[in-house]
Amino acid sequence: MEFFLQQTVNGLTLGSVYALLALGYSMVYGVLKLLNFAHGEVYMFGAFAGYGVLTVLGGPSALVVPVWVVIVLMFVAAMVTSSAIGVTLERFAYRPLRTSTRIAPLISAIGASFFLQASALLLFTANSQTYDAPRLITLESGIQVGPIRVWMVRVLVIVTAAVLMILLTLWVNRTLTGKAIRAVSFDREAAAMMGVDVDKVIVVTFLIGSALAGVGGVMVGLVFGRIFHLMGFVAGLKAFTAAVVGGIGSIPGAMLGGLLIGFAEAYTTGYISSTFQNLIVFGLLIAVLLLRPSGLLGRPELVKV
Amino acid sequence: MRSRSIWLVVALSMVVAACSPAAVDTTTTAQPAATTTAGPAESTTTGAEPMVCEATIGFLGPITGPVAFIGEVQLNWFNYALDTFNAEMGYQIDFVEGDTQFDTAQAATLAAQFLDSDVVAAVGPAGSDQVDAAGVVFEAGDPNFTFISPSSTRSGITAKFTGMFRTVPTDDDQGPTTADFLIAQGAQKVFLVDDQSSYSTGLAASVVENLEAGNVEVITESVTQDITDFSALVSTIPDDTDFVYLPWQVAANGQIFANQMAEQGKTATIFGSDGMDSGDFTAAGSYIAAFAPDIAGVPGSVSLLEGFLAEYPDTNTFGPPVFAAARVILDAIGRVCASGQVPDRANVQAEVRNTDLADSILGSPISFTSDGDLAEGRFFIFQIEEDGTKTLVG
Repeated sequence: MEFFLQQTVNGLTLGSVYALLALGYSMVYGVLKLLNFAHGEVYMFGAFAGYGVLTVLGGPSALVVPVWVVIVLMFVAAMVTSSAIGVTLERFAYRPLRTSTRIAPLISAIGASFFLQASALLLFTANSQTYDAPRLITLESGIQVGPIRVWMVRVLVIVTAAVLMILLTLWVNRTLTGKAIRAVSFDREAAAMMGVDVDKVIVVTFLIGSALAGVGGVMVGLVFGRIFHLMGFVAGLKAFTAAVVGGIGSIPGAMLGGLLIGFAEAYTTGYISSTFQNLIVFGLLIAVLLLRPSGLLGRPELVKV
Repeated sequence: MRSRSIWLVVALSMVVAACSPAAVDTTTTAQPAATTTAGPAESTTTGAEPMVCEATIGFLGPITGPVAFIGEVQLNWFNYALDTFNAEMGYQIDFVEGDTQFDTAQAATLAAQFLDSDVVAAVGPAGSDQVDAAGVVFEAGDPNFTFISPSSTRSGITAKFTGMFRTVPTDDDQGPTTADFLIAQGAQKVFLVDDQSSYSTGLAASVVENLEAGNVEVITESVTQDITDFSALVSTIPDDTDFVYLPWQVAANGQIFANQMAEQGKTATIFGSDGMDSGDFTAAGSYIAAFAPDIAGVPGSVSLLEGFLAEYPDTNTFGPPVFAAARVILDAIGRVCASGQVPDRANVQAEVRNTDLADSILGSPISFTSDGDLAEGRFFIFQIEEDGTKTLVG
């Protein structure tokens, strides 16, 4: 039981990060039908923005302000940086190609991904950096969940992700902008004819999705420690898988998919072998797509015949 | 329309121009030409005119990429060796540097470029996979081309290539040394995690073989180098495990693994391979293997280390074997010049093969077996202290 509980906490932590990242993929796909392959790099820049704040404020061993202030500022900096990059990508890499063929923005997204990776290499060098979170929040701090103790940083990550996902769901369902996003996602042309400012909706979608990715980047830095310029590739791939498993374009689907992938990784490692982790995760993707091509919570695309 | 075409051609030309030379950066050392008269030539070639000893040597290393922390230190030690040698001897040895990015295809491309240039010998590549890729090109193009790896430890690789040498011991030394040490520490159960690279799996196999021969129970697992969450794996470490052995190349991942072990209250001691020997891994009480001693403890090397640190910011154990490799090549070139010949690939390789140094920066002799391995190679084992310093324990 203790082992199962420990793996559940491990999976929940990782799944929370994947879910936040998957939301960005899913939201952008919803409004633009675009796979934003640069989303992993947006997340990577968020992680480095958080690291920058941590460094400027004295580093984990010599903070000049209280820890909670530092953590809040790290999240804010990551959200601002990632949002700025996301919106810039939309404006210069995707918008000019919006009326082009469907493959053009996809290629542009891949190019943007490499561009951001190379930029990070030049800016931050190839050396990995570490948040050294155990010096910020000691490993002894945390809460007791049955027989296991959960480190406070993991609690922070899980709670923050849950709160953000609830807020996003409420915002999308209960605000005018949220309704506009849903309208554009449902039918972009019809929404435009009904007076929805499609450009503005798309910018807001990139802004929100990228901000969530930035939060995910800081979370990874805090809980796992190491950040480096290539970190967005694998995380992005897993999050994209999560979005597809959940049903790309579906916000609850992205959350569900992220958590499922996180649990799949943890339980595979715990009960089978770490060697087969990726095999199981991507096997899960294939199985879901075979059984439900539109994902677990995705809606089948209607085609006029 | 025509104007746009011209701009397109210009832009493409600029891209090609920018990309082509980027991989190989030709740099001439700052030694003034007036000081290139060769001292040793005067002393050994009676009555000969003062001669200029000129040659170009190469450096192949991961200057960028996932293990740039290795390449940066290696390049600095290479430059240091060259500068000190030129200053001592009054020679004009130039160098060409190539960034393998720790990538096999890039290593092969650079090897071909070195063969097409006037480079007579090279230090590098760093990793065994890159050595394998470059070695095939060197062997096919010119077996007389000498390349000395300062960090490739895969066993048997030197036998494949005529021109390959190395200044570090092999996994055949590291595997048994590690296993013997763990057994001597009373290990009954070892949890081993490889990182799926050929370096890691090869070394893991050697350690497992030797541990099992000593009746130690070994649990093997595997992860990729690009993940940073090991918590699910850490949960599976049995409580009665004595040691966790990590034959990894990304030391920062080892530190994360240690943190996640501490988070879950796992008390096994980590033992890292030579790839973990960097400042990124500082888990107190852990052990690491190193293919070179801490040269700060080698009496004859202290002044070299001080000289290096006066010019460069930092070092680690990947550095001194580069200095040793560069000096082997430079000394060989010096002997060629001293005999009145012009250095070329064949005579430099012959002199490298004749290397017989009673002492070196590594605090040990350097001579090579017929394959090109160190004749007297050994690994060193350090324990990491609370303050991050290392103590030699084996």
